Amino acid sequence: MVEVLISLLKITVIVFVFVMGVASAMTLLGDRKQSAKIQNRVGPNQAKFFGFSLFGFPHFIADGIKMVLKENIVPANANKFLHTIAPALVFMPALIGWSVMPFMDHFCTGTVQTLPDQNYTEICTGPGAEWKNYFSIMHMNSGVLFAFAIAAISVYGAAIAGWASNSKFSLLGGLRSSAQMISYEVSMGLSLAGVLMIYGTLNINEMIRMQGNLLGDWLPMWGIVIQPVAFFLFLLAGLAETKRAPFDLPEGESEIVAGYITEYSSMKFAMMQLAEYAATVFIAALVAVVFLGGWQFPYVYADGIRIFGGHWVPFGEEVWYWISIFLRIGAMVFKILFLVWLQFMMRWTLPRFRYDQVMTLGWKILLPLSIANLFVTALVLVIIW
Amino acid sequence: MGNVNVKQVDRVKQGLWEKSYIPEILRGLSVTAGHFFRNLSPNKSKRTIFTRDYPEEPTDYPDRYRGLHRLMLREDGQVRCVACMCCSTICPADCIHIEAGEHDDPGIEKYPDVFVIDELRCIVCGLCVEACPCDAIRMDSGVHIPPYTERSDAFYGRDLLMELGGLSQAKQGGDRSPS
Amino acid sequence: MPKVTINDTELEVEKGTTILKAAAQAGYEVPHFCYHPALSIPANCRMCLVEVEGAPNLEPACYSEVTDGMVVRTKSERVVKAQKAVLEFILLNHPVDCPICDQAGECKLQDYYMAYDAQESRLRTEKNQKVKVFPIGPEVLYDGERCILCTRCIRFCEEITGTNELTLIQRGDSAEIRTFPGKELDNPYSVCTADICPVGALTSRDFRFKCRVWLLTSTDSVCTGCSNGCNIHLEHFRNEIQRYRPRYNPEVNDYWMCDEGRLTYKEVHDDRLRRPMSNGAALNWHGVTETTRDKLNRALKDGGASHFGFVISPQASCEDLYLAKRFAGDVLEVDNLYLGGKPDGWEDDFLVKADKNPNRQGVNAVFDGLDQFGDIESLIEDMESGAIKNLYMMEKHLPVDDETRGRFLDAIDELDLFVLQGQHHAELSQKAHLALPACSHAETEGTFVNFDGIAQPFEQAFAPHGDSLPHWQIFMKLARAMGSPLSYTFVHQIQDEMFQASQDDGEAAQTPAE
Repeated sequence: MVEVLISLLKITVIVFVFVMGVASAMTLLGDRKQSAKIQNRVGPNQAKFFGFSLFGFPHFIADGIKMVLKENIVPANANKFLHTIAPALVFMPALIGWSVMPFMDHFCTGTVQTLPDQNYTEICTGPGAEWKNYFSIMHMNSGVLFAFAIAAISVYGAAIAGWASNSKFSLLGGLRSSAQMISYEVSMGLSLAGVLMIYGTLNINEMIRMQGNLLGDWLPMWGIVIQPVAFFLFLLAGLAETKRAPFDLPEGESEIVAGYITEYSSMKFAMMQLAEYAATVFIAALVAVVFLGGWQFPYVYADGIRIFGGHWVPFGEEVWYWISIFLRIGAMVFKILFLVWLQFMMRWTLPRFRYDQVMTLGWKILLPLSIANLFVTALVLVIIW
Repeated sequence: MGNVNVKQVDRVKQGLWEKSYIPEILRGLSVTAGHFFRNLSPNKSKRTIFTRDYPEEPTDYPDRYRGLHRLMLREDGQVRCVACMCCSTICPADCIHIEAGEHDDPGIEKYPDVFVIDELRCIVCGLCVEACPCDAIRMDSGVHIPPYTERSDAFYGRDLLMELGGLSQAKQGGDRSPS
Repeated sequence: MPKVTINDTELEVEKGTTILKAAAQAGYEVPHFCYHPALSIPANCRMCLVEVEGAPNLEPACYSEVTDGMVVRTKSERVVKAQKAVLEFILLNHPVDCPICDQAGECKLQDYYMAYDAQESRLRTEKNQKVKVFPIGPEVLYDGERCILCTRCIRFCEEITGTNELTLIQRGDSAEIRTFPGKELDNPYSVCTADICPVGALTSRDFRFKCRVWLLTSTDSVCTGCSNGCNIHLEHFRNEIQRYRPRYNPEVNDYWMCDEGRLTYKEVHDDRLRRPMSNGAALNWHGVTETTRDKLNRALKDGGASHFGFVISPQASCEDLYLAKRFAGDVLEVDNLYLGGKPDGWEDDFLVKADKNPNRQGVNAVFDGLDQFGDIESLIEDMESGAIKNLYMMEKHLPVDDETRGRFLDAIDELDLFVLQGQHHAELSQKAHLALPACSHAETEGTFVNFDGIAQPFEQAFAPHGDSLPHWQIFMKLARAMGSPLSYTFVHQIQDEMFQASQDDGEAAQTPAE
């Protein structure tokens, strides 16, 4: 019973508070305030709560109210069922993937010990140590595969939305979207394969634990350190997956109005938009988990601090354990936010690609590079290990 | 193309550095990030946002900005205008309505009994000020013409215009004393 | 015939012509203040000084007559210098209060200053202060500071009216125009002094501060105050007459007009009937035309033409009267015609005539004599006795005293049908079964024939007030509604037809005087 309640709590906190919160805030802060600052503008600040503009946050409420009150239009001769269900098909994968995202290693009720020779695996000892719970909704051995599988089906939503709208702009948008997502998924998967070969596990929590190792006793062995090329490839492909600038061809306003969301209005439109932002956050989380050490706070472990030259400073009090928990959750959140911020910076820095350039980049550059990376990694692994 | 003046510009060859995108993207990011952090700086003078929060932050009008009209006053607080109709004659928008009245003082003789400006009609050209021989009407109140919900609110009567007014330094009735 | 050379232009003029007139013939303007063609020549303003070859001093052009072989220069250096000096002298104590001066815009001093002087005042002492806003007469105000002492007004009172009210008092820079003790400038032509005043010293009390003269539009018209038919400039601004100003016509009124006539413009705007009315309720023309047709037809059917009276107004123009004649005679076939119009008033031996209607001679010409018109007294008696049951009346006026008019008003209540077609409500529009708004002489064009038999056209100044129409158009509307085609589009078509008719009758209709 307690397990179920805790699971519900985790779902609520992670999906509704964190993901939705960050994604929604992004619609305001990322797309509007951040771009305003970059472009020497003020940005939205006129909606107010009792005379306080609160950095423009009331605009988010106003937008929501506006979206809800707008007329919900289904185009004539559109497939009403698919047209209605498409936003959900786009939105759901962006949320389901979060079920395997760990925000911290498992929580122990007893005394915690880390095993440096076993990738700092935390074990719970002492009295009352039998209960442990992971800081992810679902603890899964094949977490990465699950996440990818879910992310991959979001292309259906876009394609269906494009087809069901009975509009050539929507159809073009849908086609572009599926082509782009499928193309970049290949290099995304291949660039990840190298990392997976090194880690030797699909369990996301295990992967993060391994990144807690110190290379030469001082450098945290994050994915970005051992697989820098894969990091860049993965980040680029991830950007393309979210269908945002500079890869926002499916919605290319100057060419096809708004792509597959042309015929959407009201909250359906809002869901399409939110799905994009949620996908942005999800990609950020994936990158953070695989390449940036996930919840790892450098040198801080569950039972002590390891600093240069193998110095080990164990925690004495229980309170230090709690502090380390918050530090590590904070590290995860910070990494996600930083990557989201970075993606938005990219969006406001780079102009949109031409469509053939997108395909060239995907198939002729990223794919060969990721295969090469995979090959080199395999070679090095065979030779060194 | 014949004689059309065409200048052939060679495409700049991209080196490996540019072709690899990454450093150039980072360079672009540094520019945008520079703006981003500069404009977040708590020191407002360092920010490069020049937008003015207009209604909250009033605009500094230039000295010769033409705003609402005002009727200047004599030293005893009476209206300076002598209802010569020069302003209403020159007004291209025909927005000034004056009805002259007989003043008790034969030295003043004529004054505007009714003086109404339709500020909605006014095109803010300033010709009335140019035309005025007595420095009686000015547009230097520094107040722009406010929005109205009722058309009749835009009819500024004599007393309202005099409330915006002030003393003029010009001497009325000519300089009669030896200079 | 002396030959004279004026600024290289050689011309031959009649003996006794002054240099000023000769220069005007040659096309040169000689500025002048005190000279007025209708008055004697005092040559006191010195503005018209010109250089005559051989003469030691500059000669006043208004006074000096040309002699054979005279060589005159009106623009030589000496003349220009003299003109500047004279203007500076005249302007020495002038208050330059043009903004509050009614004359500004038609002021000769203003015009000449811009054309001949245009320099700053060199006066370094205080200006003379004289009387301002002095009521020199009931209709005229005097401003001593603006006065340039040209004495035009004094000469007008001496020579034109012969009333001798005005004179010059004091000397030098304290000189002013005043009335003789115990007198007032109250002759019936007093406002003419304001007209001829070249500056704003004498101004009309009626026109005071009313409108700036540069806003006025002037239309050539004829005064309707009496049968003299003085020619006027009808000056109006925004569809409202602001004043009458006499228009030169040597055969009728010369340069003058009377004060009473000047104020008759007020009738044009007072108490105007603006919309057609039926039993006191406003209607539109479409509805009222049909109602009038029905009522007139019923009246003619029930009572016959013998019970139908028609009052013709000598206030209307000849064209209106011609259509009234056609309408009453051909359409209604009424014999009982009566002549309305204002009762007689005072007269003098100059311009004012006792007959206060502008077009009695026009009625005479259109209806071939005034004998056929019945007596108004008998009309009232017939109305009271029931012999006249229906009455069609043009304009509100009747040439009767107030007591008789009261009887007439009472008798209207006995009528079966009373149609009023006129400019004014008066007491009649509420009593009228049908009231049709007609427009004044300012809103249409036409012809008046004055007491002397001179036909004088007047022009339309502005659009008719409200829904009002010219009399002739109303008659045409009704005639058409009653199935009788009277179709004219322009006033001149009526004029042509009238002229043709009168020529056929062998009557000598005079062509318009101007």
